[in-house]
Amino acid sequence: MARHASLAPAALLLALAAGCAPAQKKPDYAKFLAAQPRAILIVPVVNKSVNVDAPDYFLSTIPVPVAERGYYVFPVNMVKRVLEDDGLADAALVHGAEPQKLAALFGADAVLYVTVERWDAKYIVVDTQVTVEFTYVLKDGKTGESLWSARRSAVHTASQGSGQGGLAGLIAKAVAAAVAKAAPNYMPLARQANAAALEYPGPGFPSGPYRPEYQQDL
Amino acid sequence: MDRTPRTLLLAAAAGLALSACAQRSGQLYRWGGYDAALYSHYKKPQERQEFVERLKVVILEAEQGGEKVPPGCYAEYGYALLEEGQHRAAISYFQKERDLWPESRAFMEKMIRNAERLEGRGSGASAKGPAAALEGK
Repeated sequence: MARHASLAPAALLLALAAGCAPAQKKPDYAKFLAAQPRAILIVPVVNKSVNVDAPDYFLSTIPVPVAERGYYVFPVNMVKRVLEDDGLADAALVHGAEPQKLAALFGADAVLYVTVERWDAKYIVVDTQVTVEFTYVLKDGKTGESLWSARRSAVHTASQGSGQGGLAGLIAKAVAAAVAKAAPNYMPLARQANAAALEYPGPGFPSGPYRPEYQQDL
Repeated sequence: MDRTPRTLLLAAAAGLALSACAQRSGQLYRWGGYDAALYSHYKKPQERQEFVERLKVVILEAEQGGEKVPPGCYAEYGYALLEEGQHRAAISYFQKERDLWPESRAFMEKMIRNAERLEGRGSGASAKGPAAALEGK
């Protein structure tokens, strides 16, 4: 009996430790650091959302934060056009191609693939909820292996005009929600998701060669 | 004796420069409106002139500020010139990208050879677009 009693706190500790583990989980940077990428090729974006403009709009948000992590980023629009000229206008085809071949075509060390999972605006009662969600995968240009990946979403609920009560307040909210739904502003959300995905320390990229902290922040 | 004010002035200038850096909150580059230019280009592809002008402004602002032109910007602008048949001018911007960013060398040299071939063929010289106008050709 006494022995069982002494085990209980130990089991509790173990359970607590297990509960903590996911929160402290640090991405495994071993492959990333071994590959030492300098030049990152960001290829056109695959779209799984219902919004046809989402992949191009997203593409405009991604080169700045990646370059600011200290890496050379190939000119995204030029890359897209050159791939189109090579018969790779379909982003899904590009994502299906061998990373080694893409990397060799441009002289890149690694290839960043992004998929738009969500890019939508929905009515929820009298509010509009705008959601974006992306998956990011960085693959080694030499081995084709995955070096890093992330999945990030950002949500904004437009609910202005809530100051008034009663019917007037409800109408004001409904109008605000309709406006937000007619022209939802996805761009700040996309930037927010990118910032969260690339933040370091965190899930993001360790500093690249153009950052002063290169190889000092591991 | 008269060195002191000068030293102070220098220190003040250095302080100003430092605070200017701090305002960009640790950013490596002066991007100007690069991302906004790309976004507008995808939103309104017909407004090509605006896109090309904004790319040029990003380059000029960084150059005039004595800063490194952000990665990809020379190349992006050079490609706009290439699309308008301005092969010579395009080549000069691909060279700038290559010289500033050694990682781009393989890609830029490929594009330079490509532009030289197009020029040899004499194609596209009639296509005068907004980028060509900016280059004063």
